[in-house]
Amino acid sequence: MRTASHKNLDVVYGLYDDEEIMLDAVRQANKEHLDIMDVYSPFPVHGLDPLLGLEESRLHVAGFVFGAMGTLTAFLGMTWIFTKDWPIIFGGKPYWSVPAFIPITFELTVLFAAIGMVVTFYTICGLGPGVTNPYLDDRITDDKFCIAFDKSNVDVSAVESFFASTGASEVNQKTI
Amino acid sequence: MNQFVFKSTAKTFLISFMILGILCMGLTWFSDDAIHSRFWTNLLHNSVFFTGISLMATFFIAVCITAYAGWHTQFKRVWEAFGSFIYVGIGLMVFIGIATYLHMNHLYHWTDEADVAKDAILKGKAGFLNKNWYLFGTIIIGGTWAFFYNRLRALSKAEDDNGAGVNFAMHRKMRVYAAIFLPIVGFTSAAMVWLWIMSLDAHWYSTMFAWYTGASWFVTMIALTILILLYLKGNGYYDNVSQEHIHDIGKFLFAFSIFWTYLWFSQFMLIWYANIGEETIYFRERYDKYPILFFGNLMINFLIPFFVLLRNDTKRKFGSVGFVAGVVLIGHWLDFFLMIKPGALHTAHAALGHEDHGHAEEAAHGAHEGAHGVADAVAHGAHGASEFVSGFTLPGFLEIGTFLGFLALFLFVTLNSLSKASLVPKNDPYLGESLNHHV
Repeated sequence: MRTASHKNLDVVYGLYDDEEIMLDAVRQANKEHLDIMDVYSPFPVHGLDPLLGLEESRLHVAGFVFGAMGTLTAFLGMTWIFTKDWPIIFGGKPYWSVPAFIPITFELTVLFAAIGMVVTFYTICGLGPGVTNPYLDDRITDDKFCIAFDKSNVDVSAVESFFASTGASEVNQKTI
Repeated sequence: MNQFVFKSTAKTFLISFMILGILCMGLTWFSDDAIHSRFWTNLLHNSVFFTGISLMATFFIAVCITAYAGWHTQFKRVWEAFGSFIYVGIGLMVFIGIATYLHMNHLYHWTDEADVAKDAILKGKAGFLNKNWYLFGTIIIGGTWAFFYNRLRALSKAEDDNGAGVNFAMHRKMRVYAAIFLPIVGFTSAAMVWLWIMSLDAHWYSTMFAWYTGASWFVTMIALTILILLYLKGNGYYDNVSQEHIHDIGKFLFAFSIFWTYLWFSQFMLIWYANIGEETIYFRERYDKYPILFFGNLMINFLIPFFVLLRNDTKRKFGSVGFVAGVVLIGHWLDFFLMIKPGALHTAHAALGHEDHGHAEEAAHGAHEGAHGVADAVAHGAHGASEFVSGFTLPGFLEIGTFLGFLALFLFVTLNSLSKASLVPKNDPYLGESLNHHV
């Protein structure tokens, strides 16, 4: 998630064939106090976030805020329309018929929360149409698990011996 | 500790509450009206409530087996223990069925043959709403539930003894029983809900009612599971049942509270929108005469679980999950109170020769506002029928005592059953998945 803001970064990275081996390697790196820049995997790996010291995502806060906006939009919107703007009697019910508003309020809550969270997520990650993100290796979107180090933060020889000792199948360097 | 010990102090504690329950029921019987409607409604209310919980536990075991689920495996004995109440619960329901068969109670309007004969609606329903269906339906369907529970439990215990290694024979058999049980419980539970609860308002019906009741049972079952797990963990059992498992059960509590609300609201809105007198009377009664329970029901069973458990971390903390579980347990008991009491009270009033209260009130409000209707409404006001009446429009102390007695009985049966087998099913093929469960 941090790569989007980095430019011309010298990276040394190792590829692993299995997520369990990669998890052990992360534990080993923590033990050796090697400063991991980031870890890439084709799918979410259980237990990786706490090892990397990542905080829980705050995306759901955005979800709640957008959802509440949807609730208010729908409820206040219908209230205004059916009591002030264009009052119509439906089925002999009062103008302000709360039970009838609830399904639509619910739908707009879900819609706002869903769209709002997608937009928030894309914005934070710097994703979207027309955006190119630097990547280290094609195969980390397929079947490889990658641990990457920023060369300016670590001693490259120490990292290479670390990769060799933890079972990395490949070690490469790249500037992204 | 893999073997639960049902300590004698816990037994004494529960037995004393059962005695309290029996005392309360006795007091109810002797302070009751001529047809003991308060006693019978309380008995029906609690029997239905706890029988449903045990049925839902067996149902959920069957769901988990059929869905190849493994997260719950460590503590599935808790659900098996809940399920063991089905024998007691069906026994109680059969007792009520026999009493109904012999006209010893007057819970249901449709048992009154003279009334049915001159009532076109009840006559039309008589093919299903009759004492034979009630008693023998309860025996046959309840017996079927007990049979499936018995098989699933026996196979689960047999797996403990002979299922070591890769002997999955018992698990495969359980899968067959579970898959057969699911459609059966789906249809039969609806039929039993119609008979046991919905027919209290004999003229009224709703196609969502069975689902609504089932959701109420299910939420209560999940809430009780959380409370029992917290109790067992507090006593040093189930060390491996972690936050991760509580998180998942907390999600069920959250999700099915919303599901219950969805059904409650859908039933309400369809009836409100269609505005047909035969249907709206159900909510009119509750809205006018039971306002605290009517709105409190939604507060307790929707707003509290929804807002407390909305966050990720509150579903993981034992304190918040346990709090909501306790609240929801009481809330759904009140929900059943609201399903059962108004209809039964109506029937009792009619049987005791009072003017039918709902009609009196309608007449008083209607265009034909005559002296008769008003006089009746006033007379009832003086009786207190339209005010809050302890035991009918609000649960009184006797109801609470009866509830505690039944809860103690339920917990006694549950803990007794838990002590009969190892707490962790040691040869279940999904045990490893459960031990390493991670949300």
